[in-house]
Amino acid sequence: MPFTLETRLGRIRVERRVGYGRLYSISMTLLSLAIALLVAGLILASLGLDPVAAFQVIFGVFMKPSLLLESIKQSIPICLAALGLSIAFKMNFWNIGAEGQLYMGMIASTGIVLLHSYYGLFNEWAIMPLMLLASFLLGGAWCLIAGALKARLGVNEILPTLMLNYVAMLVVEFLVHGPWRDPKGYGFPLSIPFPDYAKLNFVFGEPAYTGLLLSVLGAAAVFLLLEYTKPGFEIKVVGQSPAVARYAGIRVRRTILLGSFLSGGLAGIGGLSIVSGIIGRLRPGASPGYGYTAIMVAALAGLNPWVVIVASIFFGGLLTAGGALQMSMGIPRAAAQMIQAIIFLMILVGEFIKRYKIVLEKPGVSGS
Amino acid sequence: MRSGKISRRAFLGVARSAAIAGVVAAGAVGALAGYLGGSSAAPPKTVTTTMTVPGVAEPLKVGYVYVGPVGDYGWSYGHDRGRRWADEHFGLPVKSFYRESVPEAEVGSAIETLIDEGAKLIFTTSFGYMDATAEYAEKYPDRYFVHISGYRSGAAGNAPENMSSAFAEFYQLYYLNGLAAGAVTETGVIGYVGAYPIPEVVRHINAFVLGANYAYKKRTGKNIKAHVNWIFKWVGPDDARKAAIALVEEKNCDVLAFTEDTPAVLQVAEEYQKKGRKVWSFSHYSDMREYGPNAHLTGQIANWGPIYLDFYRMVATNSWRSVDIWTRIGDYTPYKWRRPVEQSTAGQPEGTVYLAPLHPAIPSEWQLLIKQRYEEMKELLFEPFSVEGNLGEPIRDQDGEVMIDRDKIIVSKASGEVRSGGRADHDALWSMDWFVEYIEEPLPKL
Repeated sequence: MPFTLETRLGRIRVERRVGYGRLYSISMTLLSLAIALLVAGLILASLGLDPVAAFQVIFGVFMKPSLLLESIKQSIPICLAALGLSIAFKMNFWNIGAEGQLYMGMIASTGIVLLHSYYGLFNEWAIMPLMLLASFLLGGAWCLIAGALKARLGVNEILPTLMLNYVAMLVVEFLVHGPWRDPKGYGFPLSIPFPDYAKLNFVFGEPAYTGLLLSVLGAAAVFLLLEYTKPGFEIKVVGQSPAVARYAGIRVRRTILLGSFLSGGLAGIGGLSIVSGIIGRLRPGASPGYGYTAIMVAALAGLNPWVVIVASIFFGGLLTAGGALQMSMGIPRAAAQMIQAIIFLMILVGEFIKRYKIVLEKPGVSGS
Repeated sequence: MRSGKISRRAFLGVARSAAIAGVVAAGAVGALAGYLGGSSAAPPKTVTTTMTVPGVAEPLKVGYVYVGPVGDYGWSYGHDRGRRWADEHFGLPVKSFYRESVPEAEVGSAIETLIDEGAKLIFTTSFGYMDATAEYAEKYPDRYFVHISGYRSGAAGNAPENMSSAFAEFYQLYYLNGLAAGAVTETGVIGYVGAYPIPEVVRHINAFVLGANYAYKKRTGKNIKAHVNWIFKWVGPDDARKAAIALVEEKNCDVLAFTEDTPAVLQVAEEYQKKGRKVWSFSHYSDMREYGPNAHLTGQIANWGPIYLDFYRMVATNSWRSVDIWTRIGDYTPYKWRRPVEQSTAGQPEGTVYLAPLHPAIPSEWQLLIKQRYEEMKELLFEPFSVEGNLGEPIRDQDGEVMIDRDKIIVSKASGEVRSGGRADHDALWSMDWFVEYIEEPLPKL
């Protein structure tokens, strides 16, 4: 994929590095980390703060059980949405709508709880399985809208997925201001609180562990799908070249429908983990942009489902660290976010430099 | 075609290693992997950080969670002022710290970091934090939690005993703002920039409009006209600005009240004043006079400090009991009795909620009435949501239904429950789901 840029000085070319060793790779990673800490440290020092103490706070988040558990809890919806995105992105289907699919998952889960609480439908033991199923189906259906538009009419999926996010959020607003409003909630826009059997805490009574189990199961499912099944293989082929896929007899449209459905479905389960694991009822603004963070996480993990789990916990930790930093060092939230961003950016740039070299060719020297 | 771009696969390739590098970052401190392996298999144990018993030398540690930035000059700024006030007046060693701009879904991790920092007492200052606060109160029975603007507490019986709730209520002050608005309006049309159609905001709008109608009808014999423009945000200066300008330009409003956490609406009024058009607005939560010295009619200001200090003292002296505090004019003042109008403290800081200074443009007879009502409300001798607050007329909603009459009230449209008594009671105020008849727009059901 040679990237070239013509300038007055000559042609700048970015080339893939070939055959570098593990030692080089590790030392480059450590170097970029060191640069990240150095830059962040300089910024902290310019704010008149002690950088070493700040780094202790950041690493402390990963050391302290209570904070790590919180980070894991926050990482669950990010992780499930990112797993869904891995499928979509493998298929070259740019699903920007995980946020909306999260919300649809929340709506479906809440709907099941309300059907039980208001109308006495279903047994208590059936609630959680039904919530999982419903959130998967509704999240999937939400993404399937864009999938169908692409498969049938050739509409680019980016805009429909993105815009459906806002529709989903407004549907939540409508429901909690209207028919789903808690009758005992003094008119606030909230659903009723979920009863205990609808809470996602059946592993050691802790949402973080339960969610982690869900993430691992999700990652295993995505891994098996993509590596060991025919539809998974077809998804990958469609992603690499629809023409080849068609030539090989793959039904491209059907694959797009399936892939987009599965992608939204996983995000839908992520929505379930928010209402039933973190918040305990449906409310507007329940997701502070987890669906967008998931895009970064999926990209960061290179669409590898196992790495997605670790990357989302790393991100959840950075979110928590930003807060811890703000509080114990008394720095503004914006500065804390800047430090998070610098660490992330430096690691990303370091990886780029590790894999590619930039060559400047003098005018007239280069061929082709 | 592709040569100019970085392909998806290449980008993802880079990103994958970046993730691994991220993990190395955590691994470098030798924590993540080991911890995950260890504790996801082991049953969870309650993790308690070591706490020394607070003695005289040991400062009381207090943590605050704010929903907006402390620089918003409204809600979160007000709470931060309260924090500093309480620290200053406590008299014993205290260390307080806060987290700002915490999204509602992340309040759990905010509380955990505060506890990790050693906080013994935690204030969560947004309605959306209510459930999480109750949850963590249960998880940490040896810490104390105070939630602001909600309805769950040990005292109310729907949360653990180590959780209290508190709120500084403004509807009385909004009524006084309304009197000022009705006294100065020339067009007879007033506007309100609203955050969300929840009962708190609805009762503030109704109180404001009732007050304005009282003064305007007394002056001219005509009813006031009120317009409400919703922005569906707590902090949204740009939207508030647009909404305020629309109220002035399209509806001909010349007094603008608002529920939004910045001085944006007051600034719009100030710009009109400078252009020679008389448009007025108010302070909200903090004294905002400097943002509109010419347009600032009066306003509602909160000092959360005395409420916070109360809880500091309870925790420091081991005398905690769960309470559900709802302060109005006169609460937390050393001298709560009604003063004669000439000695009125209206316009001066006192207690937890008080009136901002009155602009001289308010005619003096109306200044006197505002002061009289302010003093009467200290002893609850006057209630805006009563027949008395509406020129002796029953208060009707937009359908013409009588909601508050001399001897009975309807608690809410949704419940339809009728109660005796000629004043809106706690439940009626807390679940207000109707607009008074003088408002033009229907209350959005969404």
